[in-house]
Amino acid sequence: MESAAALGKELGRWNEVSDHYRRASELYIECGRSQPASDALAKAARALEDVAPDEAVRLYTEACVVLEEDGKEQMAFDLYRAVTSIHVKLERYTDAATFLLRLGVAADKCNAVNSQCKAYLSAIIVYLYAHDFQQAQKCYNDCSQIEAFLNSDQNRCASKLFSAYEEGDVEEIKRVAKSSTISNLDHVIIRLARKLPTGDLKELKREEVKEEELLDENDLT
Amino acid sequence: MSVIDILTRVDAICKKYDKYDVEKQRAENVSGDDAFARLFAAVESDIEAALEKSGMAAEEKNRAAAVAMNAEIRRTKARLMEEVPKLQRLALKKDQGLDIISEGLDTLKNMAHDMDEELDRQVPLMDEIDTKVDKATSDLKNTNVRLKETVNQLRSSRNFCIDIILLCIVLGIAAYLYNLHD
Repeated sequence: MESAAALGKELGRWNEVSDHYRRASELYIECGRSQPASDALAKAARALEDVAPDEAVRLYTEACVVLEEDGKEQMAFDLYRAVTSIHVKLERYTDAATFLLRLGVAADKCNAVNSQCKAYLSAIIVYLYAHDFQQAQKCYNDCSQIEAFLNSDQNRCASKLFSAYEEGDVEEIKRVAKSSTISNLDHVIIRLARKLPTGDLKELKREEVKEEELLDENDLT
Repeated sequence: MSVIDILTRVDAICKKYDKYDVEKQRAENVSGDDAFARLFAAVESDIEAALEKSGMAAEEKNRAAAVAMNAEIRRTKARLMEEVPKLQRLALKKDQGLDIISEGLDTLKNMAHDMDEELDRQVPLMDEIDTKVDKATSDLKNTNVRLKETVNQLRSSRNFCIDIILLCIVLGIAAYLYNLHD
């Protein structure tokens, strides 16, 4: 089935490619071999990345689910990273961040602390790139509940980034983005980090003040 | 490793890292190749001497001697103040070197963490390979034994004679064809 799919890919018959790979993966699952099943779906997704990115995302997600059902979350890390890069390419930053958080969950299950912290830092950077400071803050607060992240280098880097944002110090943001902690992340995320800050930092302050004013109004009524 | 080996090894390591023992260096008055350390040691010893002298000057009953001592202390102080900018420059250079080292260590740390996770990932795979290879080896052993029995059965004398006769017939036919060709 896989050879049929590879031929289909070369001929450019994209519907058939995904169908053949799906059938191959189902057959693998029937034999109880989850890793080749997930590999088949991943190959399909890679083939369709440029042509049909939504279908590719669906295939990658299915591949991750197959692995997680069999308890092999560690193999799913690369797949999650691939999905994130597709979402970033399509500028769907919230989806990208969601998948990074799912990576964090998978890493937590297999005690891969380094990958978990890197995933959380990447999610925060993606939110900041999308200029969604509130979401980034919420994400940071949620992740700080996790002890492993709290004691990590990535946490310190994130807090430095936030304090630089709050002070509106562009130079400091650029310096943190060039630091070694961020340079150890995925190259897609490094590219986003180097382009920070996006938009006007003073706008963020105005948004914060507006939120505080709203809260005051609620108190009065 | 016997106890003596361990002791020798520990001695060798301690000797290697002696140059980083600040107190020992101060005691031996050897700063090595580091310009900063040398200058720092010199300035420190000058400061200590000046402090001692100022203590003695405070206790000195003879006022002229006290005045002379204070003047000397002030001269030493002025000289040391001139050395301070030099020390600051050397310290800056050291800081830059330490920054580079720290970045290198960060990279090493990250690589080590990643390698750790990768190895964790590989361990169950290796276990699976182990089981599968064990099964394949036992299957192979089984097959070998059965093959040996089969070959032994085939080697019974009747089959052997038939084999030789057939071989002679084939050789005869080959010789005939060869002669025909010639």
